[in-house]
Amino acid sequence: MGKMDPLFLALSYFKRRKFEKCITACTELLAKNPYDQAVWSLKTRALTEQVWVDECDGEEEGLADVLMDDNTIASVARPGTSLRTAPPSTADGPSQTFRPSTQSGRPLSGVVRPGSQGGRPGTMDQALRTPRTAQTARPMSATSGRHVRLGTASMLSTTEGPFINLARLNIAKYATQQNIAKALFEYIYFHENDVRHALDLAAQATQAQEFKDWWWKVQLGRCYYRLGLFRDAEKQFKSALKQQDHINTYLLLGRVYIRLDQPIGALEVYKEGLDKYPGEVTLLTAIARIYEGLHDLTKAVKFYKDILHHDATHVEAIACIGTHHFYTDQPEVALRFYRRLLQMGIYNCEIFNNLGLCCFYAQQYDMTLTCFERALSLATDHSVADVWYNLGHIALGIGDINLAYQCYRLALVANNDHGESYNNLGVLEYRRGNLDTARAFFMTAASLAPHMFQPHFNHAKLAHKVGDLQTSYIIVQKALALFPGHVDSKELLKTLETHFHTL
Amino acid sequence: MTNNELGGSVVILLPEHLDPNRKAEKSLYTMNPVTETPESQVNGMTTTTVPPGSALKAKSRPRKAPELQTVERRNWLIHLHYVRKEFDLCKHLIREQLEETRGMCEYANYVQGLILRQEGKIQESFELFQLCNILNPSSVENIKQMARALFLLGRHKLAVEAYLQAEDKLDKPDWELHHNLGVCYLHLKDYDGSREQLMFALEQNKHHQTFAVLAKLYLLVNDVSSAISTYRAAIEYFPENGDLHTALGLLYMQTGKYQQAFEHLGTTLTFDPNNTRAILAAGSMMQSHQDFDVALAKYRVAAQSIAESPPLWNNIAMCFFGKRKYVASISCLKRANYLAPFDWKILYNLGLVHLTMQQYTSAFHFLSAAVNLRPTKGHIFMLLAISLTYLDDEENARQAYEQAVRLEERDPSICLNYGIFLHNHNDKEGAIKMINEFEVRMVKFRHATGADLDTEIIENGAKLASLLGVDGSVFRKKPGRTRLDAQDETVLLEKTASVTDTLKPVEESVCQSPPPVPTAIPELNPSEVPDAGNTAVLVPPMEALTLEEPPAFVSDSSNARGKFLASARLQFQEDESKVTDTENKKETPNSGFAEYSDDIFD
Repeated sequence: MGKMDPLFLALSYFKRRKFEKCITACTELLAKNPYDQAVWSLKTRALTEQVWVDECDGEEEGLADVLMDDNTIASVARPGTSLRTAPPSTADGPSQTFRPSTQSGRPLSGVVRPGSQGGRPGTMDQALRTPRTAQTARPMSATSGRHVRLGTASMLSTTEGPFINLARLNIAKYATQQNIAKALFEYIYFHENDVRHALDLAAQATQAQEFKDWWWKVQLGRCYYRLGLFRDAEKQFKSALKQQDHINTYLLLGRVYIRLDQPIGALEVYKEGLDKYPGEVTLLTAIARIYEGLHDLTKAVKFYKDILHHDATHVEAIACIGTHHFYTDQPEVALRFYRRLLQMGIYNCEIFNNLGLCCFYAQQYDMTLTCFERALSLATDHSVADVWYNLGHIALGIGDINLAYQCYRLALVANNDHGESYNNLGVLEYRRGNLDTARAFFMTAASLAPHMFQPHFNHAKLAHKVGDLQTSYIIVQKALALFPGHVDSKELLKTLETHFHTL
Repeated sequence: MTNNELGGSVVILLPEHLDPNRKAEKSLYTMNPVTETPESQVNGMTTTTVPPGSALKAKSRPRKAPELQTVERRNWLIHLHYVRKEFDLCKHLIREQLEETRGMCEYANYVQGLILRQEGKIQESFELFQLCNILNPSSVENIKQMARALFLLGRHKLAVEAYLQAEDKLDKPDWELHHNLGVCYLHLKDYDGSREQLMFALEQNKHHQTFAVLAKLYLLVNDVSSAISTYRAAIEYFPENGDLHTALGLLYMQTGKYQQAFEHLGTTLTFDPNNTRAILAAGSMMQSHQDFDVALAKYRVAAQSIAESPPLWNNIAMCFFGKRKYVASISCLKRANYLAPFDWKILYNLGLVHLTMQQYTSAFHFLSAAVNLRPTKGHIFMLLAISLTYLDDEENARQAYEQAVRLEERDPSICLNYGIFLHNHNDKEGAIKMINEFEVRMVKFRHATGADLDTEIIENGAKLASLLGVDGSVFRKKPGRTRLDAQDETVLLEKTASVTDTLKPVEESVCQSPPPVPTAIPELNPSEVPDAGNTAVLVPPMEALTLEEPPAFVSDSSNARGKFLASARLQFQEDESKVTDTENKKETPNSGFAEYSDDIFD
């Protein structure tokens, strides 16, 4: 038996996704012949594949991106054309009274996506106090967590120094060699996380190709995007799309528009993509997400259902449809969707929590507590507060106020920043007649959860009751700023205004 | 320094210029530009060519004392901007004016105070009115505004003092002053003083607010008839005021004069078809007359504006219940309950509808929740007992009935139901006792209302009486009992057993007490609404809902990159402390649970 060709062996390792072995084999080969381009290229690709991340999904914006955002086109966008303004009064679907909103003022979604909970804080102060801060040490730093992680991949293999020394790389030379350049680019972009060098390479390579290769344009666009040059990125992506229709390019272009806060533009891009690739799930998902963000829940659900038509095991779609049904008074239907998730093998605290809630509201009382018990046993530090909070609602539902009180207390023990629990505790205290305690709870809730209108309204109501009209007047206005359609707040404001405006 | 001299001269000039007589006159029409424009024209003639900024230069000319009277020169302009609600411009102008006059311009301060009040800064506005008062101590208007600021700050005692002070300075009585005094006394719980002041205010000037406060006062001391007469008087003067009509209509409803109540509510709706309180009240009255379609049409209007109102959904649900659309009724009630989890009436209705649907366990849950929230209501216990009867829990049903009979001392139907229950459980003595109690109550009921009970209740009572061998003559109203003769014992027993079932009408009549609930609620609004807030609060509960898992999966499935990738991503997620369940999955018997869950749900 002759020995197998080591290069073939390395290639085979690569195909079987045994990257470590592939890299070792390549390193050995390179030690013998450092100028073997095939081996060198293979090693580059193996290293890249180890850390490769699909970027067009789940991108997280860092603190600096969020706060020092000057890319938004319209600072005062018309209602329904921005992902950042309050919902239009004509918004479709259940209002904020029925369906709670997230920190960012968007309706609560079925899944947690990066950024969907953190929201878009108005001030630095708020940004630093996002709800997760008590739970995790994850700072919302300038570079988002994922990208930092990418960079560290290169640091791990420092035993023999970096594989490629970027500073000494003759980029102009490699840019012309198409067989190497693409692998090299991905290595720089993903493994080294050095966007500047990657951009340099991509720019020279696309020039060398006389602007005829769409792949380089997409990469150029990605680099621009990472650097925050959204308009340049847009140009590159559009030009790439002219040469070659590609799903990924559509997705990337859509993301550019989202970052520019032009959701309608993004929708157009995605729909154009759908014309070319009908039934493409990723495009449909992106569209549904945008509609959800625009408070057009009916359309969002329509697209989620479309997704299920093409991919019956799409977790996000099932979860979102379930949530929608739950908040539109159809807990029985929601129950079916969550059951489906459970059958698909998702087994965690959240799913049991949701099942428990659905069971309770669908009057399957025997199952409710079992589900919650399971949810509690599976709960992590992060989610246990929410489970206790929901249990508090169950307790309210069966009229056991003391149990509810204890549940909310436990929620606060688990997560000291749980604004909803503070608010509900305030309400319970209010019912008991402890107005001062109630006010303190409302104030805490309002400061911890600036996205909720309820503590503001409750506080205003309380202040009005005890005759503190000035406080009431100021605070009810805050409630209305968060939820302009709230009838009770409006009425309160009206009665107060008669006091304030009479001469 | 010329400036200093200037300032000094202004100070001297000011009191002279704002001499008390003219000020008092002016204060009566503070907001009337007619009194001001002439002056400003006079002043304007002297300064026409001089723009405001260069006023100082003009003043530096010697011996031009009259020109210094320009303190009020631009009052008309300030006033104009103020009444147009152009507060920014107004503030700008006031600032200029105050700088120019070194804070001496009374009117500028006054308007500044008004603007600040509208912005909700009462403390600051109070200080400005104090300043006005120092500048011009003779003006009643300033003191009144100070008093008003005190009132808004919740210091009612001080406000009363200030108003009294203002009254002293006034030569002829002012209704507004007395009205406000009345309101302050009301807050201080000095009802007699308050009534006196309000009556006095009404003598001076009829104003609907005064009427409303007076009626509220009467209601606070439980003098409903006086409140009604007050409203009636008010309506004579303000026949088109919807709020007064609604309030009167609700009062009539409370006192059981439905005809008049309906008239007044109807009047409200002609003038203001969107008055939600009137719609709710009128709708509930239509409901009690079984006129469900019309009531629903009314509610549809109301639902446009108050889609989040629990009483509204409750009433709509009871409409559907009356039309025997039980599923619709339940979903409406559920929504109402979602919005107002503390409202026992909604829970009660939910229990009732579920009883009708023969879902006794659900009914029991809702009713027990209602009992927890309101342990003093006999009717809830009765329904609870009925559901317990069907759940074969005799012991607890008996206790619930006892409690119901103890708590509710008027309604005959409770005794009847209990009697039937006892009879079915072979407690003849207890049953006879109950049927006698039922008789007593029924007679009382007839005396009290002049009306008769629902025929079905009476029939059932007669049946039970005959079974027990009691003289059931009381129960013979018009129809008399005919059917019973032919039936033999056992069948009858069956029948009576289902009587509890057919007692639905009884329950229904009970359930109609809920519809009044809505009517009551508009009134209770001040106290009840916080609950509504709560409810709203409660909605968010779901917060935790679907949370974390999906994201990780989503990305996997959409990108469908190899396994390795997925695990890499999961690692990232872990870093970010998101929930990942890879390990959980391995440890737990997945398939076993799937089966389990199937069993449960199917």
